[in-house]
Amino acid sequence: MGIFKKLGWYFKQEYRRYLLGVTFLILVAIVQIVPPKVIGTLVDLMDTKQLTATKLVMWLIILLAAAILQYVFRYGWRTRIWGGAAKLERTLRSRLFWHFMKMDTTFFQKHRTGDLMAHATNDLTAIQQVAGAGILTFADSIITGGTTIIAMVIFVDWRLTLMALIPMPLLAVVSRRLGAHLHTAFGQSQAAFSRLNDKTQESVSGIKVLKTFGQEAADIDDFNVIVTKTVKINKRVNLIDGLFDPSISLIIGLTYIVTIIYGGTLVMNHSISIGQLISFISYIAALVWPMFAIGRLFNVLERGNASYDRVEELLQETSTIIETPDALQIPATGDINYAIQKFTYPGDQQPTLANVSFTLQQGKTLGIVGKVGSGKTTLIKLLLREYDQYQGKIEINRHDIRDYSLDALLDSIGYVPQDNFLFSTDVRDNIRFADFERDQAAVEAAATSSAVHDDILRFAQGYETVVGERGVSLSGGQKQRIAIARAIMTDPEILILDDSLSAVDAKTEEAILMNLKTLRANQTTIITANRLSSVMHADEIIVMDNGQIAERGTHEALLAADGWYAKMWWKQQLNQALGGV
Amino acid sequence: MAKQYQSEWTKKVPLKEQLYIMKRLFGYTKRYKRQFIGAIVAAAGLATINILLPRLLQVFMDRYLTNQSATTQILLGVAVLYGLGVMLKAVTQFFQSFLFGMGSERAMEDVRRDLFQKLHQLGMRYFDQTPAGSIVSRITNDTMTLVDYWNVFLSLLVGSFSIISAFIAMWLIAPKIALATLTFLPVLLIVIWYYSSYSARVYRRMREKLSQLNTKLNESIEGITIIQQFRQEKRLTDEFEQVNADYLKTREAMIRTNSLLLAPIVNLLYTLALVVVLSLFGISALHSFVTAGLVYAFTTYVGNFFNPMTNMMDSLSSLQDGMVAGRRIFRILDQEEYAPAQNPDATNEITKGRVEFKHVSFSYDGEHEILHDVSFVVEPGQTVALVGHTGSGKSSIINVMMRFYEFYEGQILIDGHDIRSFPMTELRRKMGLVLQDAFMFYGDIASNIRLFNEQITDAQIRSAAEFVQADGFIEQLPGQYHARVIEGGAQFSSGQRQLISFARTLVTNPKILVLDEATANIDTETESMIQTGLARLRQGRTSIAIAHRLSTIRDAELILVLEQGQIVERGNHESLVAQKGRYYEMYQLQNGAE
Repeated sequence: MGIFKKLGWYFKQEYRRYLLGVTFLILVAIVQIVPPKVIGTLVDLMDTKQLTATKLVMWLIILLAAAILQYVFRYGWRTRIWGGAAKLERTLRSRLFWHFMKMDTTFFQKHRTGDLMAHATNDLTAIQQVAGAGILTFADSIITGGTTIIAMVIFVDWRLTLMALIPMPLLAVVSRRLGAHLHTAFGQSQAAFSRLNDKTQESVSGIKVLKTFGQEAADIDDFNVIVTKTVKINKRVNLIDGLFDPSISLIIGLTYIVTIIYGGTLVMNHSISIGQLISFISYIAALVWPMFAIGRLFNVLERGNASYDRVEELLQETSTIIETPDALQIPATGDINYAIQKFTYPGDQQPTLANVSFTLQQGKTLGIVGKVGSGKTTLIKLLLREYDQYQGKIEINRHDIRDYSLDALLDSIGYVPQDNFLFSTDVRDNIRFADFERDQAAVEAAATSSAVHDDILRFAQGYETVVGERGVSLSGGQKQRIAIARAIMTDPEILILDDSLSAVDAKTEEAILMNLKTLRANQTTIITANRLSSVMHADEIIVMDNGQIAERGTHEALLAADGWYAKMWWKQQLNQALGGV
Repeated sequence: MAKQYQSEWTKKVPLKEQLYIMKRLFGYTKRYKRQFIGAIVAAAGLATINILLPRLLQVFMDRYLTNQSATTQILLGVAVLYGLGVMLKAVTQFFQSFLFGMGSERAMEDVRRDLFQKLHQLGMRYFDQTPAGSIVSRITNDTMTLVDYWNVFLSLLVGSFSIISAFIAMWLIAPKIALATLTFLPVLLIVIWYYSSYSARVYRRMREKLSQLNTKLNESIEGITIIQQFRQEKRLTDEFEQVNADYLKTREAMIRTNSLLLAPIVNLLYTLALVVVLSLFGISALHSFVTAGLVYAFTTYVGNFFNPMTNMMDSLSSLQDGMVAGRRIFRILDQEEYAPAQNPDATNEITKGRVEFKHVSFSYDGEHEILHDVSFVVEPGQTVALVGHTGSGKSSIINVMMRFYEFYEGQILIDGHDIRSFPMTELRRKMGLVLQDAFMFYGDIASNIRLFNEQITDAQIRSAAEFVQADGFIEQLPGQYHARVIEGGAQFSSGQRQLISFARTLVTNPKILVLDEATANIDTETESMIQTGLARLRQGRTSIAIAHRLSTIRDAELILVLEQGQIVERGNHESLVAQKGRYYEMYQLQNGAE
């Protein structure tokens, strides 16, 4: 029941809707008493031969009115209560979304996309059930259950009512127990499904290896074993699921038997009429659902509660990136000065950066190279304020970047990430991502600079081609170049290419770099790369190794120094010649 | 705003195709005839009990209660009879649900097995064209939809049984009034038809919006870095709010539709039918005698007549989904992009490992020729190195050699026989391919080396690993050869994955080795391990290698320099250097690299 309290804010906010919904429920419950009563009364009138045309018409009109009112009231509560549940789901989903938008990298590393999606879908479904099915069963059990029992007592007989009610609580028990078992079995079934899914995924991804080793038959056998296991697990689900209806039948059957024996006795000694007995039997049918629902209610509330706690916990997390109250609003431009003593990723033991200091003058280009894991990207991440907790500082124009407002800092930076993520909308909107007001000419200019314009024109729908999962699949190089256009579009003071030329061929790379040089004559550019040709024209190149600067200088100087850079350079030249990278 | 993507679920399937899909899907249920027939028999039994129980009470009321002749014995007798009836009812309910559930579960799993088996018959061309995600979802999600689809027929069946049996029961006790009740049948059918067509539309719109909503959410989480860096949180939130609100609207429409046309209307019709029935009974009661039990039994049957409707209407929405799923499933099952086939009477064996390409030309799409008139010979035990730029045709030589793709011009001969004259199993056993990206399967190290081949012993695995020098790092793992490998082998470096894939190939002891050397930047230590591993792997085997390492190239008896699908230079290292051609240019660069 605690979950009702936790959702109190919502019920308070929507009190009219719920008040109206519950009122309709009460009205339905009252009107529902009518048909059995009418049947019983008419039977008695017929049985005792007291039926007249007027009486008949009168009772039929009452029944007709009940039919219509029931319909209206049912429509009323359904739209109110189910609608309330849907609205709650939307409200919570909005909250979660906005929360996600504000969270930092640490948060997204802790929670994988799949988990966050699960919270925003499964958990929300469970919570909205509380506001829908939960409220309904709660109210319905009390109201419909209550009015029906009262009707039994008033219109029929209190002793019979008491006797017939004895087996009823069993319904609640059975529904709760079976519901819980079903939930567990269903969880296992879901897990089995996941395994099947993983297996299939793996076979499709590894199809070439499987073909190579001629293991198709063995792989099919392996799949079939998993399928057989899945059938076995689902058999249990089917079994439990199949027990619900029989259990209800048996318990209600018990009530009928009590009614036959005791109700029959009451008719025999004239305590009740035959019509009353018939009404009573109808009332029993009306009690089945409310009693059964009570058992279900507990399960709904339990799951809703757990889900609500999970979602709340997520919403309670805060970003570690905090804007100072009097943050600088001026655009972050000028010389960039790194003076980092130590940076360790949250949860890591070993520092990723140690004693990294350099100055990048405004308008110059810096190249950062080094082995995978040497700290290249980390340097960029700190500049983008994905992490704020490190010893030392990074300054732009002699102000610590943590003193700028996020708008002031990030608006000055154009960032092209490694994974060149594109949104599933058309190419145009991907390029003008930062500002939808920009016109086609501006978009094309940016695309031309990043040497992707011609590629785009070759697509069937040109700039209107939808990309991403559901659209055209682009080559890695095309994605990278669109991502570069997206960053150029904002004409940023500082442009960062984070290994974002890896999938374009040498000639195109050269063209893009030349375009950038003319386009961004007095602006700062930072390029990290595995392929050294990306940085060879930079004003300064730093070679990272194990979180420290190992070598620095211009391309020529580094070649002359004959260190890691020079070795790597020649190796890559050779690889290229042999048809490699 | 971007164009809205219209998913397949929202499109209507033409009637003729629907019938075809239905017929084929039903084919899968044939094997489980026993379950399905059992379920149907149970459903018929249930319908019968449902008319007998009220009948029992009718007799009880009219014969014993109204004329006050019921003794305790009779009361107990009726109670026992009723109790037996209820038990029988419970049994039929269980079997109806369980048998049908198991039948459709098993039939669905058969569809899955068929799909998976079909998958392995398809050629690489199919996998090139189809995203992995969509194949997986055909096999898992779409098949799941079929269970709901088959359930539609159960609920239709149960519903018709209930309606028919209720009508027969009514007919037997009051034929005229039964006929009057029957006038509700057309109304019922109209409501069902209207609801199923109207709600299907609303439902599809809702589903569409939900999928948009989830896509948007998923994408916003995955692209969060970009969103935050470009300061677009507000805009994205606004866009999300819009989709969120749209979804709420479609859901409200669905709720309204269900509230107007589903359970409440069934209840309305039922009560209206009661009005009609009671008025007819009332009128006849005005001039003749109507018994209480008769009215009781009849009104109960009216209930049976209307009860299954909600269920029937509700389940109909799954019909369309099942059609779409079925259509997509059959598209895979009917796919004809088969893997290249061997001659049916192929029985040759690879004994020496001599490979010859004779004027082989090849194209992936039938338009752009990727290999043009390629001829070369590799004698047993020799190594041929393929050298050239990306797109020069190196990988295509491997692809046709491994029979991943069919070629139509020229011949590939192994030990002097056409490659198609060897059974596929023989080719796979004697030709080992080492791929650039060493794909790892979920399991442990040993299972990754063994790769389902149960004939390979642990000792063989160990010695293979030792031979390629993979034992060093494997033995440092917790659990050693039984160390778990998670999805994609993410916990291993690419160098370690390479070594495992060497061992995987070595353990099968192939006659011919096909190598696609990795170009990835690997640290020097692993690099030298890989070089040794490779050299040992090649010992005594015919090798065809896409070479990136000078050591491999220099050791090769034959170097083929490829350009635009043609061999432009051939010879060994010394002769090619002496030629001062393209190879020589490349070789010049080594002075810096080594």
